Amino acid sequence: MITYILRRFLYAIPIAFGVSVVCFSLVYLAPGDPLQTILPSDASADTIAMVKAAYGFDQPLPIQFLKWLGRVLTGNFGESIATRRPVILEVTGALRNTGTLALFAVPISFTAGYAMGALAGCFPGRIIDRVVTGTAVIGVSLPNYWFGIVLVIIFAVQEMMLPATGMGANGSTAFSLFSLADLRFLVLPVVTLSMIPIGIIARSTRAAVAEVLNQDFVTTLRAKGLGEIAVIRHVLKNSLPQVLAVMGLQFGYLMGGSILVETVFTWPGSGFLLSKAIINRDVPVLQGTILFLALIFVATNLLVDLLQSMIDPRIRRS
Amino acid sequence: MAGLPFLRGIRCGSVALILCGLLAGTPARSESVLTVGMTAGDIPATTGNPDQGFEGFRFVGYNLYDGLALWDLSRSDAPSDIKPGLATAWHVDANDHHRWIFDLRQGVTWHDGCPFTADDVLWNFARVTDPKAPQYYTVQMALSRTYVANFASVEKIDDHTVAITTKAVESLFPYSMSYFLMISRCRAEALKYDWAAYAAHPSGTGPYRFDRMVAHERLEFIPNKDYWDPKRVAKHDRLVLLPMPEAATRAAALLTGQVNFIEAPAPDTIPRLRSAGMQIITNKYPHNWPYILNFVRGPMTDIRVRRAANYALNRSEFVEMLGGLAIEEYATMPPGTPYYGNPVRYEYNPDKARALLKEAGCLPCKIVFAISTSGSGQMQPLPMNELAKAQLEEVGFQVELKVMDWNSLIEIGRSGVAKYPEIDGYNGSRALLDPVSALIKPVWKAHWSPAGSNWGHFYDPEIEDLVNQILAEFDDQKRLAMLTRLHELENDRALMVWVVHDLNPRALSPKLSGFVQAQNWFQDLTPIVVQP
Amino acid sequence: MAQTSVLTAAPPPAEYEEQAAPALRVRGYWASVGYRLGHDPMTVVFGIVVLAIVFSAVFAPVLAPYDPYRESIIGRLKPFGWRGHMLGTDELGRDLLSRLLYGGRISLLMGVVPVLIATVIGGSLGVIGGFAGKRVNTIIMRTMDVFYAFPSVLLAVAISGAMGGGIGNGMLALSLVFIPAMCRIAETATAQVKNLDFVEAARATGAGTFTILRFHILGNVLGPVFIYASSLVSVGILLASGLSFLGLGVRPPVADWGLMLSTLRQSIYVNPVICALPGAAIFVTSICFNLVSDGIRSAMDVRL
Repeated sequence: MITYILRRFLYAIPIAFGVSVVCFSLVYLAPGDPLQTILPSDASADTIAMVKAAYGFDQPLPIQFLKWLGRVLTGNFGESIATRRPVILEVTGALRNTGTLALFAVPISFTAGYAMGALAGCFPGRIIDRVVTGTAVIGVSLPNYWFGIVLVIIFAVQEMMLPATGMGANGSTAFSLFSLADLRFLVLPVVTLSMIPIGIIARSTRAAVAEVLNQDFVTTLRAKGLGEIAVIRHVLKNSLPQVLAVMGLQFGYLMGGSILVETVFTWPGSGFLLSKAIINRDVPVLQGTILFLALIFVATNLLVDLLQSMIDPRIRRS
Repeated sequence: MAGLPFLRGIRCGSVALILCGLLAGTPARSESVLTVGMTAGDIPATTGNPDQGFEGFRFVGYNLYDGLALWDLSRSDAPSDIKPGLATAWHVDANDHHRWIFDLRQGVTWHDGCPFTADDVLWNFARVTDPKAPQYYTVQMALSRTYVANFASVEKIDDHTVAITTKAVESLFPYSMSYFLMISRCRAEALKYDWAAYAAHPSGTGPYRFDRMVAHERLEFIPNKDYWDPKRVAKHDRLVLLPMPEAATRAAALLTGQVNFIEAPAPDTIPRLRSAGMQIITNKYPHNWPYILNFVRGPMTDIRVRRAANYALNRSEFVEMLGGLAIEEYATMPPGTPYYGNPVRYEYNPDKARALLKEAGCLPCKIVFAISTSGSGQMQPLPMNELAKAQLEEVGFQVELKVMDWNSLIEIGRSGVAKYPEIDGYNGSRALLDPVSALIKPVWKAHWSPAGSNWGHFYDPEIEDLVNQILAEFDDQKRLAMLTRLHELENDRALMVWVVHDLNPRALSPKLSGFVQAQNWFQDLTPIVVQP
Repeated sequence: MAQTSVLTAAPPPAEYEEQAAPALRVRGYWASVGYRLGHDPMTVVFGIVVLAIVFSAVFAPVLAPYDPYRESIIGRLKPFGWRGHMLGTDELGRDLLSRLLYGGRISLLMGVVPVLIATVIGGSLGVIGGFAGKRVNTIIMRTMDVFYAFPSVLLAVAISGAMGGGIGNGMLALSLVFIPAMCRIAETATAQVKNLDFVEAARATGAGTFTILRFHILGNVLGPVFIYASSLVSVGILLASGLSFLGLGVRPPVADWGLMLSTLRQSIYVNPVICALPGAAIFVTSICFNLVSDGIRSAMDVRL
């Protein structure tokens, strides 16, 4: 078991390296000068050259990558071109805010999705199955950012029940989980963000549960005389690995793919930071954010792998 | 049953908890807070000269800091000009027109308590012009460079007087000094020139002090009770600035009460804002929304094509689309400006436009315009450009719109025609606050891009001559006559394709009073009173 | 088609049909899939809707009552039925119905083309990876893993944003997002079949690699690949509209549902229903593709 864990861990390292290469090269695909955030529109050519040299953009790409990698491994992601703050501060701050969203969205969507899917899977073809499947399909087909806009119009502007934008009455650094005033800001973004995971998890759970129910061992268990509840417990346990894989993917989506929802609600999370970095061509922030998010995803997948193999030892990847 | 009282207790307890929470939700402080939703995408820089364009000056630059000269923002019924700031008076040296004597204001203290002296002025100039100085900061150099472009040196005459020497004779030099902001030497030295730390603890002489910042989200100022101009001590207890680049978000935030002052509401949201009781305030100001043209190659090098483009535009449709929040623009300056004069009026005349194009032999006339999706002063660029395209194509142009984000457009603007010869015009809004920015920079050979903002390399010997005369003329009346002539000449040459002047719309909550909207890109927020 | 395998030279007797070579079973299998599809009411209904959507997108120039680029300043944000505009007008006075029809072209294009590209490229890579030796497999699959390590929205936005947006870059970004997934599906399916007895047998009778791939592997791979591809179309449509919403997709004045959602956002106070229409269009298209893909999966998956 330990060797398996170690092997999976070691295997994740070249993936991480590949991820860093992709991150680094992504940002240089684009035309456009990253210095334009700090230079006014009528700056002259020698100003630009002067500032470029000061920032180190005038060296060839492979050297830049190696230097960047070396710094990254020591935890130094450089400074944001726009704000001059260390990138690691920007990214961790933003991740904390996205994490706050995920903190609520994950339990809500995972339990709701799993419960709905399990119910549907246990009674395939019946009303409950149709309702759940219908809801799930709606959840994954609706553009969630549009849904968010609609929620803002109804609940914020029309009914004035909830705030329209931002994180907390005094900004994200003052955001407190124990303040109802701040929690009100969470409601709409979390609902919007949970839509897709609920749908996907419900569908996957339903498929997994239904598939397991059809397997031979279930018939055996029933023939043995086991009560229905005990049978269901076995079924759920066996369907868990497949569902876990999907949940892992969804957690990655919640952390890394929240950009649309965060844009609609001006939630200062990692997705919002990313979209601003793209617009400003703030290269260090762009690289740092993407790398962090991808590495979190890699770590999540690794964790899911290990969990799966712990629950069901038959599942072991080479 | 035994469990019942327990359940009731839980129910009561949770109700009480919720009530407490709701009450805790109402702000404990009773201070009056002015909360502004800006169009900027991020918090403007606080290390001296701001970024985020002139909105940065409007909300951060001129609130934290002062320049030697400041803009008079006290009236809404007359154009705005400069007035004494950290300098009480200035005059040019009669023997040497390169030398300007500035008398500094006495009794001014920085937010950190240190007194303001002539040494601070020298120190500030070195901060952006002398690479060997320990306080030299490349970012600030880049942001201030265009305003100190004509600066050669500064010397201290005594504790309250300095003399600034310019590279070339420029009679309008004091205007540049209104854009260069002074920061506190004491604070910078105390922080050992760590600019990231300084950004979080800035110190200036301005009407507001820095209180708190959450990066990318909010900036909070409190009034400077010891401000040197007692008429401009803020009448509210706190100023909160929130970046909100999306117009829809700004409108929603104002309607829900999260902010009480927003910039540039989208015209379509205005009826809803009005019906909710918001005050919609507009005023004309020296703003230009034109196409800045390519004079090196392409159809726009022909004056007939440029005039045709101007005759092709039905500007009243733009005004209607913008819900009346713009004025038709036929020349660089809005009417009412001191040097407006009597320019040609390119009234909507599609037949004339067609005839001109035929005469010029450009049919269909293919042109490429570079435009942005948003930006400081850009108004509603996408629908406006689509309308312009449709109108131009009616008379025989074939317009291709190259859409990009604001920073990419600025990059094109900065690099100039040499790097982007295929672009026939770029749609960049212009601030026309002082005559140099308004009239001289776009036509002067010395400002040919990338050295300056004469993007298309315009050159006309008569105009060039006039510019040189203006810069050497120190008599206000004579200079005004020349500036008027320059304005009329530029208009005659169809220097740009003029579309509309913005009316600077703002929406304020009914609880706000006392705001005077100056005819300026900058505004004074200090007189605003916020009712609870 | 000519049979080269000795095993299937003569038509087998009816009672042995089930034990016939996989190539024959594939034919019968597809016929039964078609039968199941045709008799599932949900799939039929939504399949018709999908075809209607595709039809209206393809024939948009003929069906659209007005020019989608024609603006009218006085006719901005008008309600349903105003002067012949069945669905009203947008913020520049353009007919909304026409823009929705033309927008469908872009949305479908950006949903389908990346899936096609990913199926061909990813599928081929997966089959090669599954069939070839361990080394090739490792190289291909580990490279895919690197791209798989990014959440799809993040990767799409990052690539598209880095390259400056636009339809081409958007389609490229989405293809790159889908290729790893398709590759994995194809590789898994190939690996499952590769070691089965009948492939051994086919090799023993002298069938070349290409033949084996064509007649034995492909049939088993196509099924899962097709199912997955059909479910990706709706994801592609949603991702593409998200990119346009962020300003990374098509450029104005081109009609596109995601872009229309973004530009109509501030007009929501003047005419809220109009502003909901592009969102509804995305929703309906996406849900129809989803349901049809579900139906296909049920029809093709013998076990469930």
